[in-house]
Amino acid sequence: MTVRRRMGARVQGWSGAIVRSVFGLAMLMVVDLPARAHHSFSAEFDINKPIKLTGTITEVRWSNPHSWIYIDVKDDSGKVVNWAFEMQPANALYRRGWRPADVAAGTVVTVEGWASRSGSPTANTNTVMLSDGRRLFAGAPPAEGGAR
Amino acid sequence: MICGFQKRIAAFLVIGVALTTVSSAAAQVRAGLPRTADGRPDLQGIWQVRNRSAYDLEDHAARHGMPAGRSVVEGGTIPYQPWAAAKKLDNFANRATADPLAECYMPGVPRIMYMEFPFQIFQTRDHVAILFEWQQIYRLIYTNGSRPPEGIPFWMGDSRGRWEGDSLIVDVTNHNDRTWLDMAGNFHSDALRVTERYTMVDADTLDYEATIEDAKVFTRPWKIRIPLHRQKDMARVLEYQCRAELEEARGDFEPEPRTWYRQAPSAAAGGQEVPRESQAPPVTIAQPAAAVRPGSGQALRPGSGQARVPNLNGFYQADAGGANWGFEPHNEPFTPGGRGVLVDLPTLPYQPWAVEEKRTRNLPERGYDDPTAHCFVGGVPRAIYVPSPFHILQTPTHVVILHERMSWRIIPLGSHAPLPDTIRLWMGDSVGRWDGDRLVVETRNLNGKAWLNEVGDVISYAATIVERFTPTESNTMRYEATVTDPVVYTRSWTIAMPLRRDPKGELLEVACLEDNQDLQHLKEIRDAARARGAASGGR
Repeated sequence: MTVRRRMGARVQGWSGAIVRSVFGLAMLMVVDLPARAHHSFSAEFDINKPIKLTGTITEVRWSNPHSWIYIDVKDDSGKVVNWAFEMQPANALYRRGWRPADVAAGTVVTVEGWASRSGSPTANTNTVMLSDGRRLFAGAPPAEGGAR
Repeated sequence: MICGFQKRIAAFLVIGVALTTVSSAAAQVRAGLPRTADGRPDLQGIWQVRNRSAYDLEDHAARHGMPAGRSVVEGGTIPYQPWAAAKKLDNFANRATADPLAECYMPGVPRIMYMEFPFQIFQTRDHVAILFEWQQIYRLIYTNGSRPPEGIPFWMGDSRGRWEGDSLIVDVTNHNDRTWLDMAGNFHSDALRVTERYTMVDADTLDYEATIEDAKVFTRPWKIRIPLHRQKDMARVLEYQCRAELEEARGDFEPEPRTWYRQAPSAAAGGQEVPRESQAPPVTIAQPAAAVRPGSGQALRPGSGQARVPNLNGFYQADAGGANWGFEPHNEPFTPGGRGVLVDLPTLPYQPWAVEEKRTRNLPERGYDDPTAHCFVGGVPRAIYVPSPFHILQTPTHVVILHERMSWRIIPLGSHAPLPDTIRLWMGDSVGRWDGDRLVVETRNLNGKAWLNEVGDVISYAATIVERFTPTESNTMRYEATVTDPVVYTRSWTIAMPLRRDPKGELLEVACLEDNQDLQHLKEIRDAARARGAASGGR
């Protein structure tokens, strides 16, 4: 199952007893699926357009029914485009203990997801990774031993 | 000097006596008030403001659309800091568009309490719930000694209450900075703290006092005081779905003639294909009107004989089996993990026209048409199995369901004056009864605007829904919903799933339409498809 495989890969990169202790909890709580909660996912995003982009966080909007992370991505010509990635609802992140202060603008992240059908720089993601491979918004927050 | 000193002593004495009087009055137990079983003043019922505070908390002359009114602010005026006084004037000038209510956003606290819409209070030992007609929002006030979550701002704030004598004191914290205090542009920041005091003056009058503190905006704390009156000529609170009405009026949410109830079924335009006579016959729920007190224990199963009905109070999440992405088993890339929730049929028994309707709802350009993409309420039964929790409050006469996605259902137990056919609601008209340990709820008068899930399963105005909430374990109920809808289906069908109670769970707020960024995106996708259709000669 996809969920378990991804979780396993992530946890191998971590260390520390706290991380191991929260792993069981995280297994129960992480929903490693596209963040679709109030609208048809396939209406908005295209499963045939997987994307992976690296850029700098400009803003994280903590909101329901979806949170959004905005990142500046430089294309091949050097032009910077601000991409919007739809994520899980803020309430799902809050219930895992994440708070806005845990994620700072300016952080470099790699985001994987599925691009919009509309062709705009918009996509859906559940995988936001720091350069060392740790994941933001997944599992427990930094205060509980997770990634910062 | 001596004279002045004596005067000061005398003044202190007078103030001291006054304070003692006030504090003893607050703690004093008034006679003649309705009371709950645990002796608290019984605030339950329908209430509404009668004054003009909704327009402007301060003294104001009349303007078009704004009747004159007197100040309810102690001392007359709001003590703004200079920059904030300027901003308030700016808000006033731009109020037609700048007021968050122009977009039907949540009004915040205290504003919601003195808008010209009724609200109904339900009260248990651990909670006081206020359910507002306006946009079907609610406040859940915890009176169980719990504390607010840290670091999460809400449109409606977080409310924790306690009783001081006969007064309910509520600390409202965790505000955002996006709500106003009235239509005149009075405002606050996210540093706002509101302390409310609800005191019943008599059985039909509730004294509402709110102390407003916000060091970023005001020079000092200030206070408003507004009487609330029992709405004796209103038997129930209906729905005013402000946003849905606004979008329909703007043409942003288009009617579906086959599923929506229409006021005049004989209207020539369009033609409602299925005659109204084909609706299911009315089901009579025969049940004595006697109120039944919920069991005192926390267990869903009734205790050893003393509890007459199960105690359903608490926070729940459906173990929904992916029902919001299809009732049949499914495991598509974007709708994974559906175990199937249909009880008695392998697939939904659609009428032929509805098969086609469901198919087109799954086209990308129709993602926009799902009412929940607009953040409208989920309807019945969908509000139960969307991936958001809900909270049940149970009183002797009602079961109330508060959905985290800001909507509520008031389910009277036993006695019920049904709504006329012409009044149709997003959440329908529900009545419940106890069948042993099982709560049975029947719902009609749906407006037919909701979808059953994101893959577009169809339900119409003609539906009758019978839900059964059956306690199975200490914190689990089996939920079943049987849908009879002859406009859409050839026969009745039933879904079932467990509902799990989390004794530690608390609702957070879903400010869906306030933060909805998907809708414009879905609209672009729809409009592009329509443009392609027009270019190729069809629609």
